Amino acid sequence: MNPAPDTATTADNGGDFDPRQAAALLDQTTQQTRRRLEPAQPWLLVIRGVLVLAVFVAVWLNVRGQHPYRYPTAAVVPVPITFGVLNLVATLAVARRATAGVSGRSRLRRAEIAVLAVIWVGVFAVMGALAAAGVSDAVVYGWYPVTVPLIAAGLAWAGIMAARADWRACGTGLAVAVVGAAGVFAGPAGAWVVTGVGLCVTLLGSAAVIVWRQRRSVVQP
Amino acid sequence: MTTDELDPLIHVPTRLKIVATLAALPDGDALSFTRLQDMLGLTPGNLIIQLRKLEEAGYLSSEKTRNGSAQKTMVALTSQGRKALDAYTQALRGLLNGL
Repeated sequence: MNPAPDTATTADNGGDFDPRQAAALLDQTTQQTRRRLEPAQPWLLVIRGVLVLAVFVAVWLNVRGQHPYRYPTAAVVPVPITFGVLNLVATLAVARRATAGVSGRSRLRRAEIAVLAVIWVGVFAVMGALAAAGVSDAVVYGWYPVTVPLIAAGLAWAGIMAARADWRACGTGLAVAVVGAAGVFAGPAGAWVVTGVGLCVTLLGSAAVIVWRQRRSVVQP
Repeated sequence: MTTDELDPLIHVPTRLKIVATLAALPDGDALSFTRLQDMLGLTPGNLIIQLRKLEEAGYLSSEKTRNGSAQKTMVALTSQGRKALDAYTQALRGLLNGL
């Protein structure tokens, strides 16, 4: 550390620093730091939860009357795609801002990012292959795009977070995978509403846990 | 229990804020000097002086990295620093319970 004297501000000492003030300062500083460094900001999780429910319910309303199931109409398809892109951009931007200046284990490593990217690209490549192979519309445009990405990405995220001993994020990944698995049993149209509700509950629950952890006192257990 | 039992290195508002901020990071993570300064609202001179005192006590470590012409200083709490903050928090708790 290079010396840079600042005599005007070095006179502080703990002589008249009351323990109650110290406890309040310790709690306040810890809580502020937790809030500022949290990559998954609760307000963003709540917005994502509400929007994912709205988007998935909109698609469900579009496809629920189809017998047999075909696919969401051209008027609705851009909605989940736009939501997915905006969701990714907003999540990355907020996480990048929160973790600016932070280095170490809490940042995703290149290999972990590569695994997640390969999974996302892989599941949609398989979807294309299924369509080309003539698999039914109910599977290719119903069950598969709603459930398989959630199961694959949720399990991958849970595995990465378990390796880092981040049990809250691991739990979120597992919950997303369970939501995807639940969608499998709801039929091609019902999968949209089941996963929409499940993701909304997961995101709101995750936001609540984060807020609770941020507000937890370090002085008073 | 008296305030004498509180670690004098930590029981100073500025240094308590530094240690509490770094302790909120996951174990093994470090924070850049500029982000720390921004979060605490301290002058660079004051922050450097307080960091040096904590570093001399073995409570934190700093590492300078160079990226082209830009130099970056990363600061992290050591395991000794975490233990000291835990002991300080315990002592504080004891004092508050006795009040």
